[in-house]
Amino acid sequence: MVEEEGIRVVRCGGSELNFRRAVFSADSKYIFCVSGDFIKVYSTATEECVHILQGHRNLVTGIQLNPSNHLQLYSCSADGTIKLWDYIDGILIKTFRVGCELHALFTLSCAEDSVFVMINKGKPDVFQLASVKLPKSSSQEIEAKELSFVLDYVNQSPKCIAFGNEGEYVAAVRDFYLSVYFFKKKTTTRFTLSSSRNKKHARNNFTCVACHPKEDCIATGHKDGKIRLWRNFDDEKKYTYTCLHWHHDLVMDLAFSVTGSSLLSGGRESVLVEWREAAEKNKEFLPRLGATIEHISVSPAGDLFCTSHSDNKITIIHRNLEASAVIQGLVKDRSIFTGLMIDPRTKALVLNGKPGHLQFYSLQSDKQLYNLDIIQQEYINDSGLIQIELTKAAFGCYGNWLATVEQRQEKETELELQMKIWMYNKKTQGFVLNTKVNMPHEDHITALCFCNAEKSESSTLVTASKDGHFKVWILTDDSDIYKKAVGWTCDFVGSYHKYQATNCCFSEDGSLLAVSFEEIVTIWDSETWELKCTFCQRAGKIRHLCFGRLTCSKYLLGVTENGILCCWNLLSCALEWSTKLNVRVMEPDPNSENIAAITQSSVGSDLFVFKPSEPRPLYIQKNICREEVLWGVFVPRDVPESFTSEAHQWLNRSQFYFLTKSQSLLTFSTQSPEEKLTPTSKQLLAEESLPTTPFYFLLGKHRQQQQNDKLNEALENELVQLPLTENIPAISELLRTPAHVLPSASFLCSMFVNSLLLSTETKSAEENPDDVDMEEEKESDDSDEENNFTEKIQDTNNTDLEEDIIHQLSKSEEKELKKFRKVDYSWIAAL
Amino acid sequence: MAAGGGGVADPLSPAGVPCAFSPQSQAYFALASTDGHLRVWETANNRLHQEYVPSAHLSGTCTCLAWAPARLQAKEGPQRKKRKSEAIGTSNQADLLALGTAVGSILLYSTVKGELHSKLISGGHDNRVNCIQWHQDNGCLYSCSDDKHIVEWNTQTCKVKCKWKGDNSSVSSLCISPDGKMLLSAGRTIKLWVLETKEVYRHFTGHATPVSSLTFTTIRPPNESQPFDGITGLYFLSGAVHDRLLNVWQVRSENKEKNAVMSFTVTDEPVFIDLTLSENKEEPVKLAVVCKDGQVHLFEHILNGYCKKPLTSNCTIQIATPGKGKKSTPKPIPILAAGFCSDKMSLLLVYGNWFQPTIERVALNSKEPHMCLIRDISNCWAPKVETAITKVRTPVMNSEAKVLVPGIPGHHAAVRPAPPQTKEVESKRKLGEKEVSIEERLGALDIATKKEKDDLPQTNSFPVLLTQGLESNDFEILNLTKRLQGHPNSAILMVQWLKCVLTVHASYLSTLPDLVPQLGTLYQLMESRVKTFQKLSHLHGKLILLITQVTASEKTKETTCPAQKAKLVYEEESSEEESDDEIADKDSDDNWDEDEEEKASEKDEDVDEENEEEEGDDEDKDEENGEDRDAASEKGLNGDSDLDPENESEEE
Repeated sequence: MVEEEGIRVVRCGGSELNFRRAVFSADSKYIFCVSGDFIKVYSTATEECVHILQGHRNLVTGIQLNPSNHLQLYSCSADGTIKLWDYIDGILIKTFRVGCELHALFTLSCAEDSVFVMINKGKPDVFQLASVKLPKSSSQEIEAKELSFVLDYVNQSPKCIAFGNEGEYVAAVRDFYLSVYFFKKKTTTRFTLSSSRNKKHARNNFTCVACHPKEDCIATGHKDGKIRLWRNFDDEKKYTYTCLHWHHDLVMDLAFSVTGSSLLSGGRESVLVEWREAAEKNKEFLPRLGATIEHISVSPAGDLFCTSHSDNKITIIHRNLEASAVIQGLVKDRSIFTGLMIDPRTKALVLNGKPGHLQFYSLQSDKQLYNLDIIQQEYINDSGLIQIELTKAAFGCYGNWLATVEQRQEKETELELQMKIWMYNKKTQGFVLNTKVNMPHEDHITALCFCNAEKSESSTLVTASKDGHFKVWILTDDSDIYKKAVGWTCDFVGSYHKYQATNCCFSEDGSLLAVSFEEIVTIWDSETWELKCTFCQRAGKIRHLCFGRLTCSKYLLGVTENGILCCWNLLSCALEWSTKLNVRVMEPDPNSENIAAITQSSVGSDLFVFKPSEPRPLYIQKNICREEVLWGVFVPRDVPESFTSEAHQWLNRSQFYFLTKSQSLLTFSTQSPEEKLTPTSKQLLAEESLPTTPFYFLLGKHRQQQQNDKLNEALENELVQLPLTENIPAISELLRTPAHVLPSASFLCSMFVNSLLLSTETKSAEENPDDVDMEEEKESDDSDEENNFTEKIQDTNNTDLEEDIIHQLSKSEEKELKKFRKVDYSWIAAL
Repeated sequence: MAAGGGGVADPLSPAGVPCAFSPQSQAYFALASTDGHLRVWETANNRLHQEYVPSAHLSGTCTCLAWAPARLQAKEGPQRKKRKSEAIGTSNQADLLALGTAVGSILLYSTVKGELHSKLISGGHDNRVNCIQWHQDNGCLYSCSDDKHIVEWNTQTCKVKCKWKGDNSSVSSLCISPDGKMLLSAGRTIKLWVLETKEVYRHFTGHATPVSSLTFTTIRPPNESQPFDGITGLYFLSGAVHDRLLNVWQVRSENKEKNAVMSFTVTDEPVFIDLTLSENKEEPVKLAVVCKDGQVHLFEHILNGYCKKPLTSNCTIQIATPGKGKKSTPKPIPILAAGFCSDKMSLLLVYGNWFQPTIERVALNSKEPHMCLIRDISNCWAPKVETAITKVRTPVMNSEAKVLVPGIPGHHAAVRPAPPQTKEVESKRKLGEKEVSIEERLGALDIATKKEKDDLPQTNSFPVLLTQGLESNDFEILNLTKRLQGHPNSAILMVQWLKCVLTVHASYLSTLPDLVPQLGTLYQLMESRVKTFQKLSHLHGKLILLITQVTASEKTKETTCPAQKAKLVYEEESSEEESDDEIADKDSDDNWDEDEEEKASEKDEDVDEENEEEEGDDEDKDEENGEDRDAASEKGLNGDSDLDPENESEEE
């Protein structure tokens, strides 16, 4: 055992994956998603997490591929930094400090040295889109303070901003406005939906926006389920839009395919709709995706789509609308009624999952194992529908039995309750319904527990309900001449003065049952179901109840609403001790005497670990988290640890996990953050080396050569282009000005040659030949441009004779020019 | 962790395909099947994690595989410049899998990325690779082959580090010592090599047939008094092709001893071996051997010196199909692999066919010498594409499940006789036993109904039957309850008979000793049926109120609230009526509506009369109404609960 550190609270997986749009790598092999303070890199083929990029100190709010190097990834965070990562090796390359909280990140391929971020200045709901110039520097930490504002008063969600047509404009939507900012013209046009002006309850608010990658076309999603396609939006009067309508509820996200030939949309219906050619009749659907689609993204290669869902899941979908992989985190869509349990069979964490399902989550591998469909009814994803909720669940007898309670309550008096008791069938390795009980009680069931004593020969289940009764169900032999069967029947119904039963629990050996009736705790003999004794502290309703374990089995602990923790001695039937603690969660460790209690105060939650026999706690950790803790559970360790220090001993046999109100799963770790990661020096890395195939010999070599050539060309291009565009205004002037206003060719020629001479003089003689080639190429391009230009002129002025002559002149002029150029070049080359 | 099936090459046998559990937490199980596919299964939920087909899977089928130690991570691309910032490692995840092929090449497959990582060819083997072992620390890979050589690979560069001749015949198995400085190799004889110098340190006689598996069983010598040099005193285990004995050898300081220390006997050739390393002297070595016949043998032994007699297994595990009915006999299901979980108390069993194996965690019970698990794997052949994508499992809900609705025995606790005799269990049993007789009687009843179908005399004949039944056998009552649970219309008649029977035969019934438990179910049924009675009476009262108000306004008289009298009338009715009649009312909605209407009309008349009689303040009347209603409901309640006292009074 290495040196023991203090106990820290760590997030143990199950983090949110659907906070922002996922981003594909350029080759579609990886998918990136933000997850709390980290960025996770998943393989699209195997659904495995390849890397976790960690370094941000606050929530990561946006990620984008580096447009100039597709092996790098930009990320921005609420801690005010933009970081550049090498995602294949998981290395942080650079950090740009911006200084203010960043809410979203956008990159553009045409603006390589700057990125766009969303910032918030002043009022809480007023956000601005700004561009940040990223200075080039070799140092790792760079200040990037150069902010220039692009758009003001934008929506907080990054879904409401989109860049179109290779960065010519940016579209932003908010409420009933669509604003488009043109970078070249530096103007903003704003469109307001007409119906919004007069109708107060119009539901056509904008929800999201997407821009066509090639054309000037903007798609916007609306709250009423419509999708509008805007065209001609550079003119504030002549703009047009068309409507696509399939969604019946708000459009959550939109995305164009890479080529722009199809538009993808999704919403609460959990159906991915593909609109081909932007036509209403050409629709393709991928239904039953399980939960509300929150984000849609498209891989740059165009072969994959992915949808992020509200149940913390990313579905990777092929181009032909076939789901190929699911990256599923801990489902966090809805509130957790069942609490945290451990399945004794798989050692997985069990809690509410998808609607009507129990999810089994492996804590070791931080992966969802599966969802168990308990209710078995098609879930209709619609607001305002009252669904059947899975409210209670309990495992019994080493996972052989599972009891679940589902309820649906439309109105006060119309409570529907159903209890299902499932048996684990070893033969088929799955749960089989054994007994279904309709309306087991007349009111809500508050507690459900199995008697898990080892020696007990008959299985017992107890349900406590608000109707003032608790029922004891036992397993009986239901065999008849047709079949052998076992089933559960009610054996005993107990009540205490018509008080509501709030909790129940069995002692470790199963001989006693404790049921709390509001303020009173009753102890029943599990053999004869006789009331043995009652405890009453008159300190508020009992919130939690549990028996001590092992050597402390003579104690019973109760927590009341008024914040009193009581410990009763069952032998003397007297209060052993009590203390004032506002306990929210109390969990006994199944492997030791320890009991963990989490208290709630105004500043945060505190943890107390104690033994019932000793009033002094074993371990106290203040402020384990800022929010309220809802549930906790001890998970037995497979291999016990051997901590020797007193503060750590309670973690030897089991690990404690707890779930907070914002549904993050946390645990206690004794390892320091550095220790948890394998240092790079120790880590062994295997190189990737694949032998060459015959195809490689045929094509690969050739292509590589080509690529090299291209690379060289590109390099040279850069070298040449710089002086051409920047240093020689004469050339650009010559090429840009309309032909018919150009001065005579003889005048031009001399000027042109002069300019060339000037430019070449600055260069060394060695470079010259190459340069010339390049220039030639460049210029021929330019002359093409000129041709186009003249053609245009022809179109517009073909009626004008004089103009025509000039035009002809200009053509001849141009020919001359070309000739001159060639002459010039040879001359220069000869130099 | 253990790897199995090194030297076995029978394509038809289900057992003996190369397979291995991932190290440490055993989250994955890799299996290279004879069709050339590599499949990786998740052990926790028995789900196919990924499938990979090497490009040369037909010519060079996979002959052996080994998981890399967890720390070894796949790295992509050429070595880049050293960056100042530190790379961040991922968690201890199993990743690389080395596959040896029949043509001599070795493939490194990355399970995280799902693609081939490297291919080790140059300077390697030119014949079938028999066994691969990863070095636990330095990332080296050792392989042996039919070409008699052992090759040491550097996986960082994918180049051969060293190649030497290991044997005069083919080398079939390898194992690295716990301290990582020695290497065991085996053809027919077993050699211990010093890795640094590649010299033979010890010879062992070995087996008559090629050795298929080699494993070190201890990491510390049993005798701790001597200084430990890393190898002396350690035990290792070997199994061979077509050999039903597993031999245990000890590395001694003197070079003389070449024979096995002891041996374990199994029923067939071992194909997969896993063991838990014992860390101290007291802890026994646990050994799980999967044989070719599909059984698992478990051994638990403290290794300490010689033992002449071969040891037999402490426990044998077999798996068989259930064998439905008389038609099919149970068939054995072969076990493919078995691995100890990290807690050493349970075993992961992989069984079924290699195409779709089932992985199950079985808790070990050392007491039983033989475990036969009955498993139904017939549905394993069904394609599971849907679940693979959605990760949803649907538990079985079939009609065989017991359904309890309010009123059915078992939904509520059975009524017990007043002195707590523990008889109710017996009575339950009895009910089951008497099933046949009841069936017969039911049949008789049905015949009776057919005969007298059209006219009402049923009421006469049934009570006769019923009373006969009661006199002869009390369980007829149960019959009745069953009928009552059925359609409400039939229950109306039943209730009337029951009422008659109870009143006529009250004296007889009261003589029966176990009346209370027997009539208990009937009582519970009635109670559950009349549960809504209270609410209905509320509704009733309100309806009357409404109707009278309407009629009153129509007559344009003074608006007085008239329900008081109506309540009284109603009370009378409810008190007059037998509780059974109430049940009848509740049982059929139609009937109830009619009654209700009748009653309402009756009451309307009453009320009208009353209206003329009475005049008063509205408020007073409202209050009174409230009281009345309460009273009525109380009455109703009493009426319900009267049933039992009634019975009792009848008894008296």
